[in-house]
Amino acid sequence: MSGTLFTNVRILDGSGGHPVPGSVLVQGNRIQAVGRGNASIPTNGATVIDGAGATLMPGMCEAHTHFSWNDAATLAGIQTMPLEEHVLWCAKVAKRYLEAGFTSCVGAACAKPRLDVVTRNAIEAGQIPGPRYLAASQEITVPGALGDETLPHLPFPEFSFGVNVNGAEEMRKAVRMFLKYGVDSIKLNLSGDNFTPQSPADTAWMTDAEVAAAMEEVRMRGKRGTAHARSAASVKQALRHGIEVIYHASYTDDETLDMLEAARDRVFVAPGIAILYAMLHEAEPWGITHEKAVQMGYQHEWDHAVESLKAMHKRGVRILFGGDYGFAMTPHCQNARDLEFFVKYLGFTPGEAIRCATQYGGQIMMKPKELGLVKEGYLADLLLVDGDPMANLAILRDPKRMLAVMKDGVFAKAPPVRAGFSVQADLGVERAWGRAA
Amino acid sequence: MADVLFTNVRIFDGGGEAPFTGDVLVQGNKISRVVKTAFGQRTPPIAGVQAIDGAGAFLMPGMVEAHTHFSWNDQPSLDAIQRMPPEEHILWCAEVAKRYLDMGWTSCVGAAAAKPRLDVVIRNAINDGTIIGPRYLAASQEITVPGGLGDTTAPHLPQHEFAFGAIVSGPHEMRRCVRMFAKYGVDSLKINLSGESITGMPSEASQFTDEEVAVLVDEAKTWGKRVAAHARSTESIKRCVKHGIEVIYHASFADEEALDLLEQHKFEHFVAPGLAWLINTCHNASQYGLTRPVVERMGYFRELEAAIESMKAMRKRGIRILPGGDYGFAWTPHGTNAKDLEYFVKHVGMSTMEALLSATAWGGPMMRMGKVLGYIREGYLADILLVDGDPLADITVLQDKNRILAVMKDGEFHRAPPVRAAGRAANTTRWAA
Repeated sequence: MSGTLFTNVRILDGSGGHPVPGSVLVQGNRIQAVGRGNASIPTNGATVIDGAGATLMPGMCEAHTHFSWNDAATLAGIQTMPLEEHVLWCAKVAKRYLEAGFTSCVGAACAKPRLDVVTRNAIEAGQIPGPRYLAASQEITVPGALGDETLPHLPFPEFSFGVNVNGAEEMRKAVRMFLKYGVDSIKLNLSGDNFTPQSPADTAWMTDAEVAAAMEEVRMRGKRGTAHARSAASVKQALRHGIEVIYHASYTDDETLDMLEAARDRVFVAPGIAILYAMLHEAEPWGITHEKAVQMGYQHEWDHAVESLKAMHKRGVRILFGGDYGFAMTPHCQNARDLEFFVKYLGFTPGEAIRCATQYGGQIMMKPKELGLVKEGYLADLLLVDGDPMANLAILRDPKRMLAVMKDGVFAKAPPVRAGFSVQADLGVERAWGRAA
Repeated sequence: MADVLFTNVRIFDGGGEAPFTGDVLVQGNKISRVVKTAFGQRTPPIAGVQAIDGAGAFLMPGMVEAHTHFSWNDQPSLDAIQRMPPEEHILWCAEVAKRYLDMGWTSCVGAAAAKPRLDVVIRNAINDGTIIGPRYLAASQEITVPGGLGDTTAPHLPQHEFAFGAIVSGPHEMRRCVRMFAKYGVDSLKINLSGESITGMPSEASQFTDEEVAVLVDEAKTWGKRVAAHARSTESIKRCVKHGIEVIYHASFADEEALDLLEQHKFEHFVAPGLAWLINTCHNASQYGLTRPVVERMGYFRELEAAIESMKAMRKRGIRILPGGDYGFAWTPHGTNAKDLEYFVKHVGMSTMEALLSATAWGGPMMRMGKVLGYIREGYLADILLVDGDPLADITVLQDKNRILAVMKDGEFHRAPPVRAAGRAANTTRWAA
């Protein structure tokens, strides 16, 4: 029987602990056996990959992905990309995510109605390479709020980044349209965002009747509700209505934290703090100086978000990484940077940070018992990493350190083969390895 | 990209001579050296150049498909093509573009797209490296008249999104339509000058007024675009010559006058008959309801006969006949296009040499790159196939992906030649040990 046997690897199983030496056998699309220490696993004709001490860890899950954000600096810059180009863009980005080690991504909204669904279907059909993917709707919003990009003299829906609804019945209609298209989740913009000054982050926009109508439809079809919720009011609204994935949650008060804690077994929080950091410190090339970002409210939000997330972490709320990569200041595939932010600013241990991307990833992908760990019987989504992410999380966003990416038992990025005749190439690998160790 | 030296290959250079044994050096995206070598002669390696021992394989120019529809989705009807949503449709086109390159078609001439921008977007995405595909000239949709070939609207569903083609009536609408496609960035405008029997409008029928055609040609000239026509009927073929429409698709019913006209202007036109459509609709489509009596009633057997006679006559008169056409239907799936070369040999009376030249030497000018494409010659672009076997002896080897050992486009391997494994346990992979 064929398969793949990783020998001589350090297994970082994804549950938060330290790596242990061992070997891992993959057969079909599952992890067949995990051997600790020198325990040998019979090869049974499997392809043997000698890891030479590299780290073998679960594929990472990005909890807040926007394939269709096209690395532009504005929402309008995303929206003006024509449909045909936009689909090809998504396809290209999906492949890049996979090769960067994200074997799962949770779509958090797309820029045109069917982009996420079509990309997910194409991945599942094998037409294009990409991570496991949950497809989102567009952002559903209300006139004047985040995502309403129409102009007074150009009121056409095609100009809008999100779908504008007014009232429970329009909400129901919009949700039904996306459910018809086949989304896995419905995204509601419950709060504003400092990106759009007319609707800042600490505001709320939707009526309970609108949110209730949306969630009624979502439940009826067995789908998931997700929310853009930066303000305390919007986070509470999301929790009241049973929204499962809360993006951002920057502003919280005691009541909000209590509600989050009470719901911690069913909700996920993906803060996407990279965009806050980037707007404050790295957006000057796009005309947003630090001063301007502070004016826009980003420092205020950052300070609150750090406090909120620390408190949530203490209370055992599941915080996941990823979010709002795909802007000029947060380009795609740097997403693993979030893990460093978690450690540096939120007080996570490296193990906790990695668990956000692995074990919690399997949970948010709705496969809690078979995805996100290096464990017998689990789906074979695996990364072979040159170095120890526990010692240096930054290596997870270095393509050269990502030696191999396996999704569903198949290499999306195959490990480099030692060229027997090329001494130079060998030395290169040895040197890189020496640095990491 | 690494420079590549092909050694020990049989070189078919596209000039019409018998192949010779020799070496071909590719530097950058160009062929920089072509030399004959004596039997058994070994070429010394060149520093920094990857040497590929062809072991006697047949090296030829990449092929040019003269009548390509990436957006036809291997379905049995125009309707089924049109009903694919644009998101899925563009991914389909991307997938198919790669398939053509896999099969040795390093250049394709778009002959019409099923939605306004599909061809343009695919061409741009190939050129900027977003997707993999051949060199490509992007076409418009088929431009037609109400009730003509490509008008798939229904009386109760008149919205133009239902139409397979772009429907115009009158010179004013024609001009507007051409300008729209020119704005999108097409390389050519496609006009349906004749009918197509399967749609209910017979292939021998013609459509459009001369005034409308003249406006199209005039406007295309203003924008520097090429015009191509679906022209099966006698009248439509003559109109192509009269209006100077460069690319003539099908040309089934050419009478003496049409043949004379074409011969007089033979270096101003390309003819791509798309015989595969006629042959397979007649003989290989019964599972889609196109049984012999049905197809006979439609008139396709008669048209096939007429088309073969027309092509034979054109060949004798030295009119340029090119392969490709109307692959992308259920019974003419994408990727099987090299069958056209077999059909040229079997039905039109071409030698295998002529058939090969139709896909190479004439492909260059069809791509408007006659001085740089279509030959294995110094200074030409490195679009190269390495074939296991001799297409001059058996033209069908080009239909077999496994026999096309390597495909190089613009100096880079799309499919690199298989390398012989060097004495290592085949199932052991080590990245470092």
